[in-house]
Amino acid sequence: MDEDILTTLKILIIGESGVGKSSLLLRFTDDTFDPELAATIGVDFKVKTIAVDGNKAKLAIWDTAGQERFRTLTPSYYRGAQGVILVYDVTRRETFVKLENWLNELETYCTRNDIVKMLVGNKIDKENREVDRNEGLKFARKHSMLFIESSAKTRDGVQCAFEELVEKIIQTPGLWESESQNSRLRLSDSPDANSGGSCGGYCSLL
Amino acid sequence: MAADSDPESEVFEITDFTTASEWERFVSRIEEVLNNWKLIGSTARNPLEKGEFTSGVWEEKSDEISFADYKFSITHHYLKQEYLTDKEIKEESEEDALPEAMQDMLSMSNDFPPRAHCLVRWYGLREFVIIAPAASNDAVISESKCNILLSSISIALGNTGCQVTLFVQIQQKSRRMYVGACEGPGVRTDFEMVHLRKVPNQYNHLSGLLDIFKSKIGCPLTPLPPISVAIRFTYVLQDWQQYSWPQQPPDFDALVGGEVGGLEFGKLPFGACEDPISELHLATTWPHLTEGIIVDNDVYSDLDALQAPQWSVRVRKADNPQCLLGDFLTEFFKLCRRKESTDELLGRSAFEDETKENTDISQALQKLTEPTTVHMPRLSTMSNMVHSARKRMHRHRRVEESPINTEVLNSILIFLFPDATGDVSNAKRSTSRGSNIATFEEESYNLYCQFKSAPSDSLTYKLALCLCMVNFYHGGMRGVAHLWQEFVLEMRYRLENNYLIPGLATGAPDLKCCLLHQKLQMLNCCIERKKARDDGRRQSAENALGDCMERKVSNSKGTPAYPNNKGETSQQKSWDSWSDSEDEFFECLSDTEELQDSDMKEGATKGEERDGGKKDMHKWRPEGRLHQHGNLTLLHTGDPLYIPVTQEPAPMTEDLLEEQSEVLAKLGTSAEGAHLRARMQSACLLSDMESFKAANPGCCLEDFVRWYSPRDYIEEEFTDETGDKVLRGELSARMKIPGNMWVEAWETAKPIPVRRQRRLFDDTREAEKVLHYLVGLKPADLTQHLLPCILHAALLKVKEEESMEDIPSVRKIIQHIIAHASKLLRYSNPDIKKLEEIIGQIIASEAIIARSRSLQAKFGIKKCEKEEEREELERFVSQLLEQPEVPVIGAGRGPTGSIIYKLFVNAQRAATLTPIDDELRKPGSSDEHRASSGTVSEFPPPTGREIILRTSVPRPAPYSKSLPQRMYCVMLKDEFRLTGAFSSDTSFF
Repeated sequence: MDEDILTTLKILIIGESGVGKSSLLLRFTDDTFDPELAATIGVDFKVKTIAVDGNKAKLAIWDTAGQERFRTLTPSYYRGAQGVILVYDVTRRETFVKLENWLNELETYCTRNDIVKMLVGNKIDKENREVDRNEGLKFARKHSMLFIESSAKTRDGVQCAFEELVEKIIQTPGLWESESQNSRLRLSDSPDANSGGSCGGYCSLL
Repeated sequence: MAADSDPESEVFEITDFTTASEWERFVSRIEEVLNNWKLIGSTARNPLEKGEFTSGVWEEKSDEISFADYKFSITHHYLKQEYLTDKEIKEESEEDALPEAMQDMLSMSNDFPPRAHCLVRWYGLREFVIIAPAASNDAVISESKCNILLSSISIALGNTGCQVTLFVQIQQKSRRMYVGACEGPGVRTDFEMVHLRKVPNQYNHLSGLLDIFKSKIGCPLTPLPPISVAIRFTYVLQDWQQYSWPQQPPDFDALVGGEVGGLEFGKLPFGACEDPISELHLATTWPHLTEGIIVDNDVYSDLDALQAPQWSVRVRKADNPQCLLGDFLTEFFKLCRRKESTDELLGRSAFEDETKENTDISQALQKLTEPTTVHMPRLSTMSNMVHSARKRMHRHRRVEESPINTEVLNSILIFLFPDATGDVSNAKRSTSRGSNIATFEEESYNLYCQFKSAPSDSLTYKLALCLCMVNFYHGGMRGVAHLWQEFVLEMRYRLENNYLIPGLATGAPDLKCCLLHQKLQMLNCCIERKKARDDGRRQSAENALGDCMERKVSNSKGTPAYPNNKGETSQQKSWDSWSDSEDEFFECLSDTEELQDSDMKEGATKGEERDGGKKDMHKWRPEGRLHQHGNLTLLHTGDPLYIPVTQEPAPMTEDLLEEQSEVLAKLGTSAEGAHLRARMQSACLLSDMESFKAANPGCCLEDFVRWYSPRDYIEEEFTDETGDKVLRGELSARMKIPGNMWVEAWETAKPIPVRRQRRLFDDTREAEKVLHYLVGLKPADLTQHLLPCILHAALLKVKEEESMEDIPSVRKIIQHIIAHASKLLRYSNPDIKKLEEIIGQIIASEAIIARSRSLQAKFGIKKCEKEEEREELERFVSQLLEQPEVPVIGAGRGPTGSIIYKLFVNAQRAATLTPIDDELRKPGSSDEHRASSGTVSEFPPPTGREIILRTSVPRPAPYSKSLPQRMYCVMLKDEFRLTGAFSSDTSFF
């Protein structure tokens, strides 16, 4: 069954504690919601295979703890990620304000600069919204990210968020192609400009 | 035979095999190929534009045909061009237009192309087909065979109506002899050739050649239509005189201070060792003359190069000039493919000293762990001197086998470890070098991220450069192994003696750098921790000594300084499985003063263990406090909440990280897996909880959560019975889940300050792991590790050199290399072949820069005073690098022209002064009449002369159509060639 998998992608989920990172992941991988999900310690890990545009991609998704203290630990796992989901809680402004810090963190610890970023405003099922959709949009535009609002509880936007992210990664060939060296579907390297060309029978007078 | 009748003929051949001869089949095969390539019928394209042969793209297609069992290759050469649309053809074409080839023969816009197929040069064709023996040493020599081939193409052309010129190659291939034909409606052109070794005297000038041409076309008309003449003389300059190649190869044997032959450590050499420009060809052209305007016969010539209306210059580049940087890179790269280990290279005993020292260390460490051990004095010049002296003695023992001599080795080590000498000036020098390349700093930063190398001032980067140099000048691979061995010994020494490794950014390994750099950074982290611990111990030992005196008087309890930690560790084993270590404690300098009160704490710990209660803890002395956490107070006791001193997380190199992620990932995605994963990672959480408990006696989980994960403590306003608003808080739902990891950990955690906790990061073990890894590296591994640094350095070097010259094509190559390399080096095992390509590109750009410098020196750009002339010269030189042939503005009369003239004159004078060197004069012998004829030119005789004669006359009869005739002549030292294309009317003769 692994035969038709185009590539394996590493995806990160980051954001302040309690914004629903683990819930988003659980919704995406198991399609369940657990209101009593224990706070993540360090990093957690889940796998899911999805099909985007007929391409199957295996996602290794790393869920991280949002607590300040863990933040010295978790960035080590940022290495080699192709996509990142940055989550905030629309009902708590401070989780939105802290996004800037998270982006800095990414900048510092990510090993590649072309990583695809997606901003997710979670918990839209709740009544007491503090962050307007437009603010999220503005932030995403400013930092060239994908943006979506979601609710892990009601399922809104979750599947879509992951799919969009993967599609974008697949569309950025430099991000993943050489990851699977032996893949049949590997896009060919850009042809090396062979300037001049050899002189086969061509010559000057002398 | 038309294309559609082919299958029929094949059927025919099968049924009546005997009627088709080999020759017939050969002809039909030619026709088939012409059909396949769609060369049938007339094509219409725009007339040739000026210089199109040079600027356009030439392509070729090949196929194989055979005559019986003799194989021929058939090749179609053509200039890639747009075909005209049918509409345009209708507008332009007249009835019975001449075939394109015949029109091209008379076109004057592409005479003497700088680089083209010889047939293009000779006949001015833009498209033709050649049939030649397939094997390179085969040749069609006998006249009858040549005639059969010529007949074959005539039949094929006739049958197919193909208007493209068809040639057959005859005689030895090296003679480049071709005969051919082109047919159009009612017209035919024959392509003929004469090739001799020597120029016959009567044809050694224009008038003689005109005679041949006229007699060949045999035009019956009088007066003859005018014949147009184009002439080009080419002069070759090989002797550059005082403008000789300016760069001296470095003197490798001289060793001055830290420099070897002028090459400083940490720098890459650059430039060509030989002149990358071997010859200059000056072409003087008279593009459009008519017969009679000039005189050129056996006694007199008007053709003075200085007066020629057009000058153009070509340079011949040395094919693969030996360039220093290129050699450096190539040699270093070769190491990647070697298999020898350090032991094999240096003899069995390579790391023997080290293993001996190894046992010493463990003893030394044991000694160090005893608090009474006298600590080594702070890094002082003295101890370092002793150290290096000792090392030097070590080396002297093996001096006869050492590939690198002691002096060089010492200067390299001083360069790598400037702190080891205690000499400030050395350290300064390395920083001043840093500022030299300050302009490249930003790019350099980006580069090291892209290439995954190391910062350009780092030890790793310097080591790479030194190894590269050692490989080249000091003993090759054995030298590399030797230096590496010394390097590893130094690392070991530094670890033992708590000396930080210089030239590395502090803090956790930078994952943006190469693995070797990360490893060194890791080692530095270990040294730092070890040093802090040892320093702390020494200090506390000193303090304790002082205290002991007092305490003996005041306090007679005298319990041991450390609690019975053995029991605790065994209890915690399940929690600490992730950082299973020996009984090393994490010791912080900041809380050393608390050691004095250890006896009191000891009592408290025991107290807690005894009643296991939580409420009475406030009796105990708090330990390991960092600072107060805002205004928060403990929920139960109301004491201020303190943030404890905590253990820093373990630094990680990318391979460790990889390993760990793999372990974590392997646990799978099940609930148990997730639980186990959390447990494995909770060592840090547990440690923090213990520190927190120790710092805040009487605290509860809520207190901890308020510091650690504030959002999991939810406060709400309540109105109590009296109507006052009261803040009441509780843990979030997820923290209240029974048996969740946080609660579990909290219950397990004992109040132990960080100082007495077991280390989360076992620096002793990690340091040994790093050293073990370093020892195990073969020169080949080392090379692969450091290749990104070397490529990075080489690219910076090329950039730096380019910035002095400003060559756009090099800039383009650099961009290409960066893009290519950063894609390649991102992954741990880059394709060796592709890396080789990159090195090739770096070498190519070095050669271009070397050529540019050579040309600049030759044309004396630096000496040129007039701004305008200088600019023109610079433009001229840069064009020489990028274009095959560059016109000289103002020909012989312009400033550039006069410089070129002087170059030739100087060479000529030098040649006449030394008559032994008559190689140059030889071609002149046939031209001596010129020198005596009065036109005093100091130019040497031309090396090559080319003349094109063209006209359009009726042939063969006076009433025939007027058709293009052309003859091209070239006269070289040992070659005389006439190539004629003579057309005749096939309908009216």
